[in-house]
Parts: sequence; C-alpha cells; structure tokens
Amino acid sequence: MLTFTLRRLLLAIPTLLVISLVIFLLVDLAPGSPMSEIPLTVPPEVRKKMIEALGADQPVMVRYVLWLRQFFWVEPATLIDGWFGTNWAGGEQRILSWQSRAPVFTVIGQRIPQTLTVIGTAYLVGILIALPIGIYSAYRQYSLFDQLGTLFAMIGFSVPTFFSGTLIIIIFAVTLGWFPTKYDTNLSVTDWPSFVKQLQQMAMPVMTLGLANAAVISRYMRSSMLDNMGMDYVRTARAKGLTERVVVLKHVLRNSMIPVVTVIALGIPSIFGGAIITENLFGVNGIGAALIGAIHASDLPMVQTLAFIFAVLIVTFNLIADVLYGLLDPRIRYD
Amino acid sequence: MKLKTALLGAACALTFAPAAFAERGTDGEVKFTFPQAVSIMNPFLSSGTKDVYAASLVLEPLAGFDADGNIIPKLVTEIPTIENGGISADLTTITWKLLPDLKWSDGSPVTADDAVFTAAYCMDPAGGCAQLSKFDGVAKVEAVDASTVKVTFSGPKPNPYTAFVGALSPLLQKAQFTPCLGAAAPTCTDPNNMPIGTGPFKVTGFTVNDTVTLAMNDQYRDPAKPAFASAVIKGGGDAEGSARAVMETGEFDYAWNTQIPPDSQASMTAAGKGEFVVAFGTLVERIEMNMTDPDPALPEGERSTAKHPHPVLSDIKVRTALSKAIDRQILSDVGYGAGGKPTCNVVPAPDAWASDNTGCIAQDMEGAKKLLDEAGWVPGADGIREKDGKKLHILYQSTVNPIRQDFQALVKDWWTELGVDVELKAIDPSVFFGGDAGSPDTFQKFYADVEMYANNSDGTDPETYLSQYQCVNAPSPDNQWQGENMNRYCDPAYDAKVKVLSGTVDVAERQKIAKELNDMVTKDSMTVIPLVHRGTLSAHSNTLGGVQINAWDSEMWNVADWFRVK
Amino acid sequence: MLDAKAAPLVQVDGLKMYFPIYSGILRRHTGNVKAVDGVSFDIQAGETLGLVGESGCGKSTVGRALLRLYEPTAGAVIIDGENIASLAPEALRKKRPTMQMVFQDPQASLNPRMTLAAIISEPLVEHTSWNAERRLERVYELMDAVGLNRRFANRFPHEFSGGQRQRIGIARALALNPKFIVCDEPIAALDVSIQAQVVNLLEDLQEKLGLTYLFISHDLSMVRHIADRVAVMYLGRIAELSPRDALFERPLHPYAEALLSAVNEPDPSLARRPRIILKGDVPSPARPPKGCNFSTRCPKAFARCHAEKPELQEVEPGRQVACFLYDAKPGSTGTTEAPANLRQEHNQQGEYQ
Ligand SMILES: Nc1ncnc2c1ncn2[C@@H]1O[C@H](COP(=O)(O)OP(=O)(O)O)[C@@H](O)[C@H]1O
Ligand SMILES: [Mg+2]
Repeated sequence: MLTFTLRRLLLAIPTLLVISLVIFLLVDLAPGSPMSEIPLTVPPEVRKKMIEALGADQPVMVRYVLWLRQFFWVEPATLIDGWFGTNWAGGEQRILSWQSRAPVFTVIGQRIPQTLTVIGTAYLVGILIALPIGIYSAYRQYSLFDQLGTLFAMIGFSVPTFFSGTLIIIIFAVTLGWFPTKYDTNLSVTDWPSFVKQLQQMAMPVMTLGLANAAVISRYMRSSMLDNMGMDYVRTARAKGLTERVVVLKHVLRNSMIPVVTVIALGIPSIFGGAIITENLFGVNGIGAALIGAIHASDLPMVQTLAFIFAVLIVTFNLIADVLYGLLDPRIRYD
Repeated sequence: MKLKTALLGAACALTFAPAAFAERGTDGEVKFTFPQAVSIMNPFLSSGTKDVYAASLVLEPLAGFDADGNIIPKLVTEIPTIENGGISADLTTITWKLLPDLKWSDGSPVTADDAVFTAAYCMDPAGGCAQLSKFDGVAKVEAVDASTVKVTFSGPKPNPYTAFVGALSPLLQKAQFTPCLGAAAPTCTDPNNMPIGTGPFKVTGFTVNDTVTLAMNDQYRDPAKPAFASAVIKGGGDAEGSARAVMETGEFDYAWNTQIPPDSQASMTAAGKGEFVVAFGTLVERIEMNMTDPDPALPEGERSTAKHPHPVLSDIKVRTALSKAIDRQILSDVGYGAGGKPTCNVVPAPDAWASDNTGCIAQDMEGAKKLLDEAGWVPGADGIREKDGKKLHILYQSTVNPIRQDFQALVKDWWTELGVDVELKAIDPSVFFGGDAGSPDTFQKFYADVEMYANNSDGTDPETYLSQYQCVNAPSPDNQWQGENMNRYCDPAYDAKVKVLSGTVDVAERQKIAKELNDMVTKDSMTVIPLVHRGTLSAHSNTLGGVQINAWDSEMWNVADWFRVK
Repeated sequence: MLDAKAAPLVQVDGLKMYFPIYSGILRRHTGNVKAVDGVSFDIQAGETLGLVGESGCGKSTVGRALLRLYEPTAGAVIIDGENIASLAPEALRKKRPTMQMVFQDPQASLNPRMTLAAIISEPLVEHTSWNAERRLERVYELMDAVGLNRRFANRFPHEFSGGQRQRIGIARALALNPKFIVCDEPIAALDVSIQAQVVNLLEDLQEKLGLTYLFISHDLSMVRHIADRVAVMYLGRIAELSPRDALFERPLHPYAEALLSAVNEPDPSLARRPRIILKGDVPSPARPPKGCNFSTRCPKAFARCHAEKPELQEVEPGRQVACFLYDAKPGSTGTTEAPANLRQEHNQQGEYQ
C-alpha cells in the first residue's frame, strides 16, 4: 500500500505539471481580458498602462514560468517565512490578483474557512440525510418511502441551486423572516447567541446544497445497497438466524459503504471548490464566489491558481479514494 | 420626517446644550450591500464603481459635486475661480487652499505635500493608475505652503476641475503610500485595502471581494458627524438579492446598483420597507452606425476602415429611417422601468449641458418608410427592400445581456416592418469590451453594420467625451484598433468645433458648443442613435435619512449627513 | 407410517413461490413468475433427497423457500415438527440453527469483509452465550472437521481457493449443529478434481453427524452417487420422485426419461439408452402452459395433457409421478385409447433396456 501510494504520488507530479500548463493556456486563451472591466471613460492609453502594470502584456510563456516559480517557490517560502520568521522568499513578488492586487493566497486563506464551514456542513448534512434514505429505500425497494425518496432525489438532481436557493430565500427569509439572506463573514462565534446567529445564517445555503448533495449520495447508497442485498452472503447471514438489523446494518451496509465512501471522498474536492452559485446567491464569501468573481473580471492569476489547486485536490482525493477502497475492501491489494 | 428630525434635534440641543445639533456616532451602524463586492479601497488602482464608492466613505477629494452636478468644496476653503484668483487668467494654474486644522484619521495633519504626493503617485508611469486621465495636462503639482496646493498645466485648461476633484481623484496620505510608488503600487496590499483618509469613516476590516467594515472617523472635520458609529459594506450576489435585502427583508440600509426588471421593482416597492432612487448620470444606451464598410469580402485591415465608406449606411436617409422606426419609450419601459428614460442625446445631462433635442422620441414608421422609398430602397417580392439588386441587410451586434437581447428583438421587429433584413449577433461582453486587437468581435473592430452598447461622459463636463468623435479617434489597424470613435464618423467641422470648445472658458459658452456637438452626431447626422438615458437604480431603507442620490460623484457623497430615521 | 420414528424430518406440502412482475411507469402488478408452483415431498431423517432439473426450473427457489429465505406464496414446510412457512420472525430466527444451507457459489456466499473465524463464529454469537474463547474453540473444531488448517482462521474468503471456500461454507453451516442442510449445487462452481472431495466430505459429515440433506444439482451422476431418493423438477413442479436406483433404471415420467437419457452410463457393459432430444424451449415460468407444464415438449402428450395439470401421485410403491400416463382413474375429459398405447410403448422402452 505504501509503495503504491508513493508511486502514485510520484506519477502525480508530471501529471500536475502538464495540467497546470494546460489550465494556464486554456485560461489564457479563454475569451475576455481584464480590459473589459475598465469603464469606457478610461482612455485607451491609460488602459494600456494599467495592463502593463499588471504584467498582463507579457507573452504567455513568460507569465507561465513566472507563475510556476511563484506557485512552487515564492508562495511556500513566504509561508515558511511567516511561520519561522526566516527570509526565504526574499521579498519576491507573490501571485497577485489582477482584480484586487492582493496576494491570491491571502484571498484563498480568507475564504477557505467559510467554504469549509458552509459547504462542508452542507456536504455533511447531505450525507447524513442521504445515507438513511438510501438504506431504507433499498431495504424497502418500491415501497412508498422508496418512491418518495426517488422523487426527492429527482428534485435534488434536476432543480438547479439558483432556483431552489431563491425559493428557499423567498420562503424562509422574505415570508417567514427566520434567516438572513446575506452571510455575515465577520460574525465570530463567541457565545450562545452568536452561535445561534451563525446557525441561522448557515441554514439556507446548507439547505440548498444539502438537498443537492443528498440527492446524489442517496442514489449511490440505494443502488449499492440493492447490489448487495441480492448477494448470497446476505442469504447466508439470514440463514445464520441473525436479526434483520444485523443483516442489514452489519452485512449489507458495510459492504455497500465501500463504493459510497469512495464517491464521498471523490466529492470532497468539490467542497473546497465551493459552490459557485450558492455562495454567490447567499453572499458566502467562499472559494466558489472568488472563482466566479475572478472569471467575470478575467483575473487570470486568481482563476489559474484556483483551477490548479482544484486539480491538485482532485488528484489527491482520487488517490485517497483508491487507498480507502483498499483499506475497506480486503479483496483489493495494491502491490 | 423633516419636522421630526428638527424636533429631535431641538430635543438633543436642549438635553445636551451646548452640544451641536446632532451628535457623532449615536445612530449605530449603517449597512450597505453591493452586488459586486469591493476588491480594493484605492480608486487609483481600480476603475470599478463599487471600489470607488466604497473608498469614498474614507478618501476625499479636494472638491466634489453635489446632486445637481455643481462643484462644491470638500477639503478646501472655497472653489478656485478666475474671479477669486484661484485660477490664473491664462488658465494654466489652479490653486487650492486647504481647510485649516484638517487631520487624517490617524491624527496627523493634512498638508499640501499629500496632494503633491498623490499626483506623483498617480502620474508615475509604472504605477498603472486608473485615474491617470484626471491628471491629463498636469505639468506640475507643488506645495506653495503647507496648506496651499498649486497645479500647473502644460497649456491653458478651460476645465481645471479634474485633478483632486470627485470620488475618482481623492487625496492619499503621503506617509502611508510613500513605499507604494510606481511598480510597487499593486503590491502594497495593506495601504490599498485600508487607506487612511479624511472622510467620515475609517476602515477597520477588509476582506477582499466580500466585506469592508468601517468605524466613524474621530478626526472628521465636523465634530457632529457622522451620525453613524460604524458602517459595513457587504458585497456579492446579484442585483436582485441586494434589492431584496433592503426592500423586502430590511437587513440592509442601502443597496447600490439594484438594476432589476421593472416588474420586480414594483413588487419590491410594494413590500413597503424602502424605496428605489435613480441617479441619472450621462449613461446612454445607444446604437452606433458604422460609417465604413464591414464587408467580410474586403481584405483584412481594410474592413471597417475609412478606405471604404459604408455602402448603405452612408446615406443619411437610411440612418434617419432606422432611427425613426424605433419606439424608445417602449424600450425604456421594457428594459429599465424607473431606471431609464428615452433620449435623443449622447449628452443627456446635466440639464445645463443637454440639448433640447426630443425629435426622435415619437416613433414614425410611415415617415421612415417614406425616407427609404426616397433613398431608392423599394420593397421586393419578399417584403425586403432592395436597391440595384441588393437587399437591405443589416448586421446588428451587441453584448450578451438579457436586456440588450430584448432590445435587439424589439428593434429587429420594427426594422423588419420597415422592410430591412436584420441579422442579430450577441457577443460575450468580456470579448466585446475586451479590446483584444486579435479578436474580430470587439466593439472597436466593429465588424457589423450597427452595434449597441452604453457609454457615458466622465463627470459633468462632456468635452473629453465629445472629442471622441473626432476623425483621428477612429479605431484602425494603424492604432491597433484603439480609439473611441467607433462610427468612424469624420467631419472636419466637428473637429474644428471640438478645438473651439477646448479653448473656451466661459461655462455658458462651453455648454452652447457642447450642445451643438451633441446635435451634430445625433439629430444632424444620425451617426449615433441614442435610445435610453440610463440611471443607476439604488435602494435605501425607509429608516435611512439624508440620502441624496448623486450621479456626478459617489452616491455616498454626503454620507456624513446620513442618519437613522427614528 | 404409524411408527413415530418414521415421521419425516421435512414435510413439504403444496409449496408455491411466485415472484411478482411489476411493469409500466406506475409499476403495476401485472403477473407472476411461478418459480415454484405446488411442490410436495418428504425427507426422512438421515436421508439425502436429490433434486434435479434443468437450470431455471426452480430448484434453488425450492431450497430457499424451504428455509424461508424467500417468503413462500403458499404451502407448508414442516421441519422438525414446526411449520417454517408460517413461523413468526423471532421464532423463525430461533429455529434457524436446525436448518442450514450450503450455496452454489462459495465466493458470493461469504461476506468479503469478514474473516473466516468471524464468518463461522457469527451464528454462535447470535445463538449461544459462549465467550470468545469457547467460540474460537468451536471454530477450530469445525475447521478440523471440514479439513481446513487452523492457521487460516484470520484470513478473508478471497484468500482461499474455491474448494477451500466451500469447506468454509460447510463449516459455517455446521456451526450450530443443524439437522437439515440444503445443499444448493454445492459443487457446481468447483473444479472437477475437487468436486469429489467436497461430496465425500458431505457424505462423511452426514454419517458422523446424522445429517439430512436436500441435495440440489443438475449433475445427475453426482446425484446418483449421493442421493437416496431423487425428485425431478420441471418448470416449478416435480415430475417424478423415486428411489434413486429405480429412477435411474427405469424413469417413469417422460421428462425424467428424457433427462436421464442424456447421462452417460457409468457401466460400459450396459448398453446406452437411446438419447431423447426434446424439441422446443422451456416455457417461461411467468406463462406456464395451461395443462401439464411439460405438455408443450412431451413426445407422448395427448389431449388431456393440454387441458389439466397432473398431480404427483404414487403409481408404484415408493414412486410418485405427475403424469396422466399413469392415471388409473378415468380423467374428466374421458378416456381415449392413447394412454394404453403409450403405456405399452413405455414398457417397450423398459424392455429395450
Ligand atoms: N428473486 C427472484 N425474482 C424473480 N424471479 C426469480 C427470482 N429468483 C428466481 N426467479 C426465477 O424463478 C425461476 C427459477 O429460478 P431458480 O430457482 O434460481 O432456478 P434453478 O435454481 O433451478 O436454476 C427462474 O425463471 C428465475 O428467473
Ligand atoms: Mg440454482
């Protein structure tokens, strides 16, 4: 397992380098330029100067190599300097956002907490809702509960979050007035009332995303359960005279969880990726909102860095999913 | 409400005599929401209105504009004029006198050196200053003494109220920004996000593209202001969500830029928590006519250049007919509701500068048809007009935007009724406005017969704006397709008049010339077909008092006077 | 029959197992797969009953319904004095140790995430109050009994060979000292060389532990080797149930005859029966024919066969056949000459041997 992991990690390095170049070229080739954000009242010469000051007029390969250096050397060095007071980075320029002129990693650092709490909670809530629904739906296949579960999943699948989110806002914020529509980033949880406030402001985005997540995972859970339910070893378990509870929860569920855990692990990068639409809708200043804002403003360094980080996360969690599979399923050995 | 305030003020005065009318920091927090989040608090590094407005709570220029577009002193004792000697007779210098005892929010004094520094900061060639045009023609900025700033221009400057005037050109603190000159400007994250200013508030917290938190500035020059102890600007989401947060849920006090469909405007107003206000600046949604031939058959480099006049649109009768067929009132109602009104001008405001040109407002389909008949374009068998065997075909491009696509559809209907074969094209705005010389789809390349977008004049004086229509400003391969004269309009008489304008000092005379220039490109030549004068729709809560919407400066220009309605 | 000792351990009466078919968008119940459609037989204690038939005829379903791994649609299954088909869930669970099953696919029947020891000892946890040590002792005992090395106790099923896995399956089945074991094609998935070992193991265990088997197989020679009596199934029903030797010597039911004609005679000195090739396909159990289930393919079918379903009845001592050829009573449709002819023909076939 260890050699497998190491080999995969080594393989990941060239893969990621190629990915980074591809992303860079794609982002660069994508239509649009930071110019389009500048009002027409700014004269062309000034625009040109602004673009030069950003370094956006450099050839793409020069910018790519600079970005590589900044990403793999300057940024880690700056981080280490921050921890130990050393001076590895030597004041070299970090990756700066064209839009805000702030270091991209500072922005990401500011945004990760919101994304993890809100989107992470939504993922967790989604899983917690999905598993029981999936298990029971499969156990009572074609029952009324199963039909309702299917309906729920269909809704979660097919209704886009901008729609369900707006609906949730109209019901819970406008009509009932229970929850705020805009997430307050500066709220720090120090006592019970502020904790309640935090829960209130998380409620709607978590509902919106939780629904979508639960829909997906409950379907996986259900089909995996059904796959296993018909297996002989389940019959064996019944023949052993085990209680239904033990048969379902111990034998069927444990085996059914293997693919579901993998799916859940593979979904984790999307938590970091945030939820572009939901974050934007509820004013959660997470990674997703940063990404969409950066795309709109053609903020290439930001888009490039975020896209690359997602690529790293996806590669990492694929590996984690594989390792988990190996740990959970004794039949699989990577050697 | 006014009475109530007055009574309240009186009560305060009685209780806390001899304290001033109102007291600083007694009204709690004022909450703003912007559909686009604030990226940076330094207007010199951002041209985004969201950033400029947010910064205006903190940074102030020497002078600003009131709601009617009149220039008003902010950090100076009075507005320099020729009469009071502030402007030299030869129009080459302007001298500002700072208010006495003016302090930055950190307690240090504001001096003329700060102004000198600010000019140097923006004019540094490596700094990429977004407001460089405010310092156009500035030869030198010097501190005559600690409280006197003298700006010298390289030639006579009839409108010298550019540098240090308005929210786009505020004063920076020298002490804070000294390390940020030139190439270092973008890397100065802390000063850029938390600039020290003279305004009613100071920044206490800044999260990029999300939230700005502010506290009242204890050093603010009026000891009774601001009424609010703190302020917060939450950004992100969309116009709909921002409007809702003010008008329906009442979570926020002020939402800037809440342009939403007219029916949503009505239903949100019905909730009774707030009201929409419109700032009518100079933004005009218009159709620009291409005076040159965009025919793809032409060799690259000659398409849409002065070499080949437009085969159809060169005829003023055709241009006029196209304009007459449009019902601008319908466009305005459908697209903008309260946020728009029909117009025939490229300079629609301020009133003193706007021509009384309203001839285009009423739709005249019959007149339009007659004009085309006269021009020799007669309906063919399929209803499409033709001349010399050529069909009357128009490629009409704009950006991807729901309102613009509505406009395109409506205009296409009218033109089709006229007998014109209209082809529509919608381009991604980031491409259209992106200015990439390699892309065929930029508005500068103008590879179409007509194109629609919005443009505005910066500030109240339209000189720069109108000078865009000079021959030399036509985009072409020679200038890498830069230039603002999209139509390739070229009239020596116009160019000459622009020159006259730039030499004229008397405001009334300037206004007269500006109106003539406006008429030349609109009703006289029909080169530009203005459609809708667009305002910025904002929303404020009924509990927020003192709001005076202003299109000529920051909408928060008088935030120091805002208060909580009790 | 009056003798209490002679009371059969397993009595199956009119067992039916229908699987509902739902179709359409609304998933309406539109029909049934009649996998088992009225099956009755007894098994004496210590006896091995072979159950043969083509694949898909409902053998496994019988075995599973017998142990109530399926909920039977109708019928009674009395095992050791209790009707399994109608036991309440808790009582059924308590009853399970008496009856066990060995599955066809040893890999699929073992939980891949449990070790051998866990698999074998799980029923002990459920049904005894033994401590871990005692249970492990028993696990070792069972492993010895089925010929597995004790060292393997903590391995996972996938680490074993097919034959070893089936030994695990058997050890697991034996854990609670059952009286009755359904062996559902226990050797079908194994290499031929290993099949004999497993069958021998089953026989040894039967001898040692006094087990009663229902031995399901489509391998007639293996059934001939192990079974005392054999039931031949066709399309959810039993066609013939006879003592082994009698059946193999002289099958009575036309289907049994056809089926056995395909078996290689182990004794080369005996002439081979002419092979009977059946025409047509087995009908779908969702739409069985109106009369005798075999009537569509039976070379000897006559009018009555297409109209009525024959019941299993004793036609010779110890031999039960479901076929109108052997119906002594006059049928409701009236007698024809056909039965006599056919019987004669059948006898000729017997003589031919
Ligand atoms: N769970 C089930 N649902 C529906 N049909 C089934 C099910 N199990 C078995 N059947 C059907 O019942 C018939 C008998 O199957 P089975 O008992 O497995 O046959 P055998 O073991 O003799 O090969 C087949 O037609 C099969 O398709
Ligand atoms: Mg079977």
